[in-house]
Amino acid sequence: MKTERFLPWAVGALALAAAVFAAKAPGKVNGFDVDAFARLPVLEGGRVKPVDSVARNSLLMIRSQQSFRYDGRGVGADEWLLDVLFRPQRADQQPVFVINDPDVLGLLGLRQTADRYFSFAAIAPHLGEVEQQAMAAQRLDPKQRTRFQGAVLNLFERVYLYYRLKNTVQVQGGPPLSAELKAPGAPGADQRRAALVDLGVFRPLPPLAGQRPDAWRSAGEALQQAAAGTVHPGLDPLARLGAAWSSGNPAGFAAATADLRAVSASAHPRALAMARDEIVFNRAQPFYVGMVIYVLALLALFVSWAWRPVLMRNTAFALLVAGAVVHTAGLVYRIILQGRPPVTNLYSSAVFVGWGAVILGVILEAMYRKGFGTAVAAASGFASLIVAHHLAGDGDTMEMMRAVLDSNFWLATHVVTITIGYSGTFLAGAIAIGYTLRKHLASNLDDGTTKALASMTYGVIAFALFFSFLGTVLGGIWADQSWGRFWGWDPKENGALLIVLWNAIILHARWGGFARERGIMAMAIFGNIITSLSWFGVNMLGVGLHSYGFMDKAFWALSAFIGTQLLFIALCLVPRRFWAGGGEAAAGPGPKATSGSRA
Amino acid sequence: MTKGIGRSLLDVLTSLKTTIVCLAALMVLVVACTLAQVNLGTLGAVNQFMRAWIVWWDVPRTDLTLPVFPGGALVGLVLAANLIAVQLSRLERSWKKVGIWIAHAGLILLVLGEFVSAAFQVETRLAIEQGQTVNYVESPREQELALIDTTDPKFDDVYGVPESRLAHGGTVAIPGTPVSLRVSAFYPNAALRNRGPSDPPSGATQGVGTAVAVAPLPPVTRDDDVNTVAALVEPVVGGRSFGTWLVSNALGAPQGFISEGHSYKLAMRPRREYLPFSMTLKKFSHDVYPGTDIPKNFSSLVHIANPSRGEDRDVLIYMNQPLRYLGRTYYQASFGKGDTLSILQVVQNPGWLLPYISCVLVTLGLLIHFGLMLRRSVRKQMKTMQQEAA
Repeated sequence: MKTERFLPWAVGALALAAAVFAAKAPGKVNGFDVDAFARLPVLEGGRVKPVDSVARNSLLMIRSQQSFRYDGRGVGADEWLLDVLFRPQRADQQPVFVINDPDVLGLLGLRQTADRYFSFAAIAPHLGEVEQQAMAAQRLDPKQRTRFQGAVLNLFERVYLYYRLKNTVQVQGGPPLSAELKAPGAPGADQRRAALVDLGVFRPLPPLAGQRPDAWRSAGEALQQAAAGTVHPGLDPLARLGAAWSSGNPAGFAAATADLRAVSASAHPRALAMARDEIVFNRAQPFYVGMVIYVLALLALFVSWAWRPVLMRNTAFALLVAGAVVHTAGLVYRIILQGRPPVTNLYSSAVFVGWGAVILGVILEAMYRKGFGTAVAAASGFASLIVAHHLAGDGDTMEMMRAVLDSNFWLATHVVTITIGYSGTFLAGAIAIGYTLRKHLASNLDDGTTKALASMTYGVIAFALFFSFLGTVLGGIWADQSWGRFWGWDPKENGALLIVLWNAIILHARWGGFARERGIMAMAIFGNIITSLSWFGVNMLGVGLHSYGFMDKAFWALSAFIGTQLLFIALCLVPRRFWAGGGEAAAGPGPKATSGSRA
Repeated sequence: MTKGIGRSLLDVLTSLKTTIVCLAALMVLVVACTLAQVNLGTLGAVNQFMRAWIVWWDVPRTDLTLPVFPGGALVGLVLAANLIAVQLSRLERSWKKVGIWIAHAGLILLVLGEFVSAAFQVETRLAIEQGQTVNYVESPREQELALIDTTDPKFDDVYGVPESRLAHGGTVAIPGTPVSLRVSAFYPNAALRNRGPSDPPSGATQGVGTAVAVAPLPPVTRDDDVNTVAALVEPVVGGRSFGTWLVSNALGAPQGFISEGHSYKLAMRPRREYLPFSMTLKKFSHDVYPGTDIPKNFSSLVHIANPSRGEDRDVLIYMNQPLRYLGRTYYQASFGKGDTLSILQVVQNPGWLLPYISCVLVTLGLLIHFGLMLRRSVRKQMKTMQQEAA
């Protein structure tokens, strides 16, 4: 009995310990303290962040991953960025460009290989062609582009980002920064400085004491000022850092990073602290770790159906709680880091929807103790974090808020409540799917669990109706505050309204006795379709005031999701005699009259 | 017999099935309206599906127009009637149901608010350049034919003839002046271009219109498009004609004639409404995040002068922070001319407060209802758990 109580929690604690361990700083790379470089604060995308975030997001955009293997060992994003900045001839050989589209590969004269990663050097001979095709595609409306055109434009954008990164600190193929600093009057130096100003991706030099806090300098601007007589104290260490990296001098590299750090520490100490906090978040990857723990919870639950049910079910629950702790910690950390409510873009809405579903699932499990809450919570937590993971490929997930969205009050009220509404609707759908699968797979069903499932679904739908209604109306009020229309029938508003209407229909159908247990379950699964369309589908329409996050890649994923949901609805609605556990019930007179009573 | 019909009508009206059918119909309309926005623009789609009593379908390749679905207005009306009827006839009046009562009352208010907005909401805009003083708002879509008496250099007397009056045709007497305008043609939307040798004459005998060819077009539906309204008018003073003029918002400068010592100008321009006060734009600011093009903030610092109320003050209008003044609300909407022109969206909606009240009511009602439900469910759960334990 004791093992069944304590072992599960020990497993949960172990998972948490592993999550903390993941946040540990990495060791040195070939004797270079790359970590010290990664922590340096820079300004990019309108906010201060560690250079590590720039490296990770750039590599994520170019390769869809935050690290890769090259020369028989793993290369992290920071090391890669150092090569791109200061040793481009090496970076050009590294396979960082992911290309999936066969037509684009054909254009480049490349074959489809087992790994879909190619180096810049492999693409370079065909750059003119790529640019020409991409420019042709760019003139078209995104919706009218062919798959090839979308893919070639995407490749071009990534190559362009790579090109800009290479020309951030020093002009590629030109003299290194140290030489530029020594000879400001060298032939062509003026043009090179102008090129750096134009192309630089991030601004590495902090504002000095007495300057405006957003007066960060790019390398090009600092060189222009140096030529005019004012030398930024960070410029020389930056030049030494580059020289040390490209010549393989770890001691010089360490000294240069320390000097750069000292410049930040004296000029802008807050930036250093912000960069330090963010790098912890980058390394911990709480949403990725949480995703893994949710999978483990699901696996433990599957095992429980075959072996030691109580022990494994408790273990699954403990793992779910551990996952929820990591997920919550990540969410809270992000809120503090960004100084914003949890939902600011599509990515964070996915993280938050999953979180809401998990927390609700934990509560349901604590109330009913049937293993069902764990199953749906872990599954929806995992699914939404997977979605978030794929949405993160667009770059910085903590980008600055556009003017109209720049309102913490409304983000905190409207966006958060509506997202909780999504969570609830998805959770109800997940429970209904669980109900369907159980009916088909389990041979002996106890009535108590079935009843518990029905009342869980009902309760969660009521919860979802409340939050989606409140969120929708708050959205209307925000709209009234910002452009004078309480309700404009904008696609996103309509999507939210559909969720409200659908949940209202389910509840009224139940109260009126028009839909019984199975009907309610099928309707709850259909709620998944409506919510996914409202959440992502309207972004694909590309009209209206809310279409800030246009995306087309997700179209197939969304279609596949809807297909599976329709399949579940069909499974839910097939007559009882096809159910594994429903054979006897088919002989009965049908649902009892009590289900018609109104709540 | 009639009693029977009334009876069954009442049954339908108080049926929960009607509620569900209405909600489902509303879902269909919302989906259709959303998809139609891709082609029709938001306003066109809303007018076709949500603000209509009946949704009509133009059968392709024929002139037939068939009613295919109840429109949003009809569904909303039935839903509201159904809500009220159910509330009064079926729902028990007990404390257990108090949450439902409050929530439904809030919903009725919400539907009512949407009807009020549809009927009374007027959206105009106010474009103002830095340093400029403006005392009128303009309609974003409707045009008017303005007859401006510019005799006195200190002020202009303006008489506006709305589009709808021009469409009516005939002779329009301009009140307060001896001028009347004979409207000989009106085009709700048209393409204007320089008249080539093969083009038919526009019908104008005076002004720039004589060199212009007019080709009628169907009115636009998309939100950001504006109709090119054109008309042929003949000013007549005391029986004397001043020739036929082509007026259109696509023609630049106003055209003028002189009669009895008065100089008049004719101009087709966005319909204006004059305000009882004047607004001066002191400064428009447009900030971006450093190193990006992402807008951080738009704001207009305006000065309001209203002598009749003795008001003379500065107001900062910015995103999510509109100015509510004398029944109109002024929102920062857009900008132009290298950040020196600010465009404010101006909305007049007597029902603007209804959704706020409704939101509070429904939220409160649902909280009470679901709270009571949860308490019951938890109690039941505890009881079964105790039974299991025992």
